[in-house]
Amino acid sequence: MSLRIGIREGFRTITRNASLFLLSLLVTSIALFLLSLFAFVTVNLYHFLNILDEKIEIIAFLEENADYEALASNILKINGVRDVIYVSSEQALKDLQAELQETEEVLSVFESNPLPASLRIKLLAKSRNARGLEEISGKVMLLRGIRETIYGGELVDQLKKITSVITSFDIGLLLIMIFSVIFVIFQTIKLTIFARATEIDIMKLVGASNSFIALPFTFEGIVQGILGGFIAFILTVVTQRVAVSFLSNIYFPQGYFFVGSLLCGIIFGIIGSSLALRKFLK
Amino acid sequence: MITFDNVTKVYQKDWVALQDISFFIDKGEFVFVNGTTGAGKSTLLKLIYKDEEPTKGTIKVLDQNLRLLKKKNLPKLRRKIGVIFQDFKLLQDRTLEENIAFALDVTDTPARDMRKQMLEILTYLRLSHKKFSFPYQLSGGEQQKVAIARALVRDPYILLADEPTGNLDEKSSQEIIDVLLDINYKGTTVLMATHNLKLIKKVKKRMLRIEDGKLAADQ
Repeated sequence: MSLRIGIREGFRTITRNASLFLLSLLVTSIALFLLSLFAFVTVNLYHFLNILDEKIEIIAFLEENADYEALASNILKINGVRDVIYVSSEQALKDLQAELQETEEVLSVFESNPLPASLRIKLLAKSRNARGLEEISGKVMLLRGIRETIYGGELVDQLKKITSVITSFDIGLLLIMIFSVIFVIFQTIKLTIFARATEIDIMKLVGASNSFIALPFTFEGIVQGILGGFIAFILTVVTQRVAVSFLSNIYFPQGYFFVGSLLCGIIFGIIGSSLALRKFLK
Repeated sequence: MITFDNVTKVYQKDWVALQDISFFIDKGEFVFVNGTTGAGKSTLLKLIYKDEEPTKGTIKVLDQNLRLLKKKNLPKLRRKIGVIFQDFKLLQDRTLEENIAFALDVTDTPARDMRKQMLEILTYLRLSHKKFSFPYQLSGGEQQKVAIARALVRDPYILLADEPTGNLDEKSSQEIIDVLLDINYKGTTVLMATHNLKLIKKVKKRMLRIEDGKLAADQ
C-alpha cells in the first residue's frame, strides 16, 4: 500500500517538476558518464598490461638433435611453468621472415638456416617476475640439450612496478570520482527536495513515518539513477565506437558496462537521496 | 490532556522564547493562547506536537511524556493531533480533495475508510461542491476550511490552530471560529493561538496570555 503511494508520489514529483528533474538527470548522466569513461580507460589499461604480462616468457634454445619432446615434458614438471611450445628452426625462420619482410635479402646471404630450434616456456602468473624467471631459467639450463635461455629479467620487474603505481593511482582516482559523483547526485536531489519542502512539512505534520516520507524521493533517486546510468552507457558506447576508429585493440566488455552503469546509477541514486533527506527527517 | 510543567525554551544565542511555563488543559477544553507577535505563541504550539524540544521542564500530551517519546512513535502521536496555520500550508498543485486525501494517504488509511471520511468532512464543512478546485481558486476562508478538513479527517483528539484567522477578513474569521467552536463542542480539545483580543473577548473562553515568553495570565 505505502509502496504504491510512494511510487505514485515519486512519479508526481517527476512530472510536476519536469524541468528540475531533467536538469538533475542531465547532471547525473554526465557524472556517471565520466565515471564510466574512467572505467573504460582503466579496463583498457589493465587489458594492455595483461597482454604485456602474458608475453613474459623464457625462450630456451636447443642444441642440434636435442630430444625436444623429452625436454618439454621435463620443463613442464618445473614449478611455475604453465606451458611449453616447441618452435622448430624452420618455423623460427618463417616467423622472422614474416616479421622482417623487407630484409629478405639479408637472410638470403645465409646458405643454410642459422636459427636454432627453441622451446617457448610460458609461465604461471606467480612466476612472471625477475626472481621467478631467474629460478626457472636456472633449472632449465641444467637440462641436457639446452644451449641457452633468454628472458626479460629487470625489464619485467620494471613493468610490475609501473603496474603497481598505476593501480594505486587508479584506485585513488576511482575513490575520488565515486565520492564526487555521489556528491553531485546528492546536491541535485537536494534541489528537488527543497522544491518539495512544504510537502515534507505537511507529511510530518499529519503523522507520516520517516520511511514513508523518504519513499517517493528514494524512488525518484532510483529512476534518476537508472535513466542516468543508461544515458551514461550509451555515451560510453559512442565513445568506444569513436575510439575504435583511431586505435585498434580496444577492449570493451559491453554487458559488464551496461549492468555496471545501471547498478552504479541505482546505488548512487539511493545513497544520494538518503543523504539529501537526512537533514529534513531529523 | 496537555500539561506543561516549568517549561523553558531557549533558542540559539540565549534567546529565551518561553520561560517557566506551567498549565494544564483538560479534555474537551477550548483555550486561546494570546500574545503579541514574537511572544512565544507558535513556540508553545510547536512544543505540543514536538516540532521543538523544550530546553527545560516536562510536557505531557495525551498522557505521554514527550521527552520519553521514542522518535519512531512520534508519527503515531501526530496522527492524534491536528494542526492548522495562518498560511494554510496547502499543496498548490493538488485539488482540494487531493489535499485532504494526502493526509489519509500518507498515514496508510484503507481506501474504503478514506472515501467515507472524505465524504463526511467535506459535507460537514460544506466544501463538497469545490472538491475539484485548486487552492488558488478558493477564498482565504475556504482555504482555511480545507486546512481544517485535512487536520480533522483523521479525527484528532487535539486541534492546534496557529493564528488561523490572521489572513482572513472579519466575516471569514467568524466562520472559522464557528467551525472551531463546533469541533470543540463535539469533543475535540482546541488550542488556538491569536493576537486578536477583540475576538477572544467575543468568544469568552479560557485564555493563556504570554508576554515576553512568560505566562502573564491564565483566565
